Amino acid sequence: MATYIGTHGSKVKNYTTDPDNPNVGQVWYNGTAKTIKVEAQTTVGAWSTGGNLNTGRDSLGGVGATKDAALAFGGGPPPAPGAKAITESYNGTAWTEVADLNSQRALVTGAGTYTSAIAAGGDQYSGVAESWNGSAWTSITNEPNGTNGYGSAGASNTNALFFGGAPQGSKALNRYWNGSSWAELDDLNTARADLAGSGKTYTQALAIGGMTSPSGFLAVVESFNGTSWTEISDLNAARGNLGGAGTQTSSLAYGGRNPSPVALTEEWNGSAWTETTNLSTARSTGANAGADNTNALYAGGSPNSVATEEWTGAGAPVVQTFTDS
Amino acid sequence: MAKTYQYCVAENWGKGFIDHVESQRITFVSFPGNIWQVPAYNKHGNLWIAKVGGTLKTKDEAQVIVDAVITSAQNAWDSLPDDEKAPEVETNKRPTDIILEE
Repeated sequence: MATYIGTHGSKVKNYTTDPDNPNVGQVWYNGTAKTIKVEAQTTVGAWSTGGNLNTGRDSLGGVGATKDAALAFGGGPPPAPGAKAITESYNGTAWTEVADLNSQRALVTGAGTYTSAIAAGGDQYSGVAESWNGSAWTSITNEPNGTNGYGSAGASNTNALFFGGAPQGSKALNRYWNGSSWAELDDLNTARADLAGSGKTYTQALAIGGMTSPSGFLAVVESFNGTSWTEISDLNAARGNLGGAGTQTSSLAYGGRNPSPVALTEEWNGSAWTETTNLSTARSTGANAGADNTNALYAGGSPNSVATEEWTGAGAPVVQTFTDS
Repeated sequence: MAKTYQYCVAENWGKGFIDHVESQRITFVSFPGNIWQVPAYNKHGNLWIAKVGGTLKTKDEAQVIVDAVITSAQNAWDSLPDDEKAPEVETNKRPTDIILEE
């Protein structure tokens, strides 16, 4: 019979806290919890609860390259008099309040990471834009469309794309921020607002779902290559005000409303959308972040939620505890 | 008819309230008033309710709690100035009733 030491070359180690980066298949004893644990590989993607936001709100912006390094800012409920400038940073366990936006607003959209991002638009319809350097927001040139409810993609505060926007059905515009100015790029094929975006750079973006009118919910998805948009496979369920995270070939679309909030989650593998495990709390207009279809985050959302959920997709490593069942 | 779901009241404390393995095993649905729906007659559902210190409620009891929260939210929305109910504020909709399932 194979033994653990024979397979792994060492005995089961005793830790006071779980090791930081265990290998898949590694077993250890957590002396504090008095449990045996293993780094397993998931077979089904699922949402788990993350740390709650300190301030519950909806219609907030979110950025982050992974679910363990995200930023949530602004929020409402709209309109502006009730909107907030609050910014919170997430480390995979808890949200910490950091420097406020200079301009309080709801329905704001973000692109980039938690150390380098752009926040644009909001319910003042002024196109107010700000740049985040990891510790503070700095006002920059307004986004010329002056809208809210964009989709977005991008890598940083020098590489950000904002497309579509309110009023529904009238905005197909697509603007790129290069760190010093806004440039107009090719329009979306389908004008819409309240859509999701994904993509780690402005030349590889997805525009996901959205709305063409107060009751016109869309399943349409388009892909941008830096030059033009091409329509690709639709979502299975049309909706607006949804979350999106990932890349052009590996994304997740989640939550939203049609017209009531939904918990639906769909995975994109580069060629098709597949419905998978729902959020536990149906909601729209939350802050989204994530790496791909195995790693995503949804925080806050309508109405005034503090809830955060973390997506771990099939095949991703996860710590499991041995039990008697 | 055997019930499909059971309900409890439990406050979501954040990280660890529902972990990944629990979420893989059963479906969790939350409702206003900290009401959680999990499968009935299910070991993993029962273990989770015990873990979070959930207070079991019948469907009717849970419905009363949900209705109270929704009614309060509807009253708050009704008292908003008309401009805050304006069509362009699409996310600020009047909360709709929710009917729990057996």
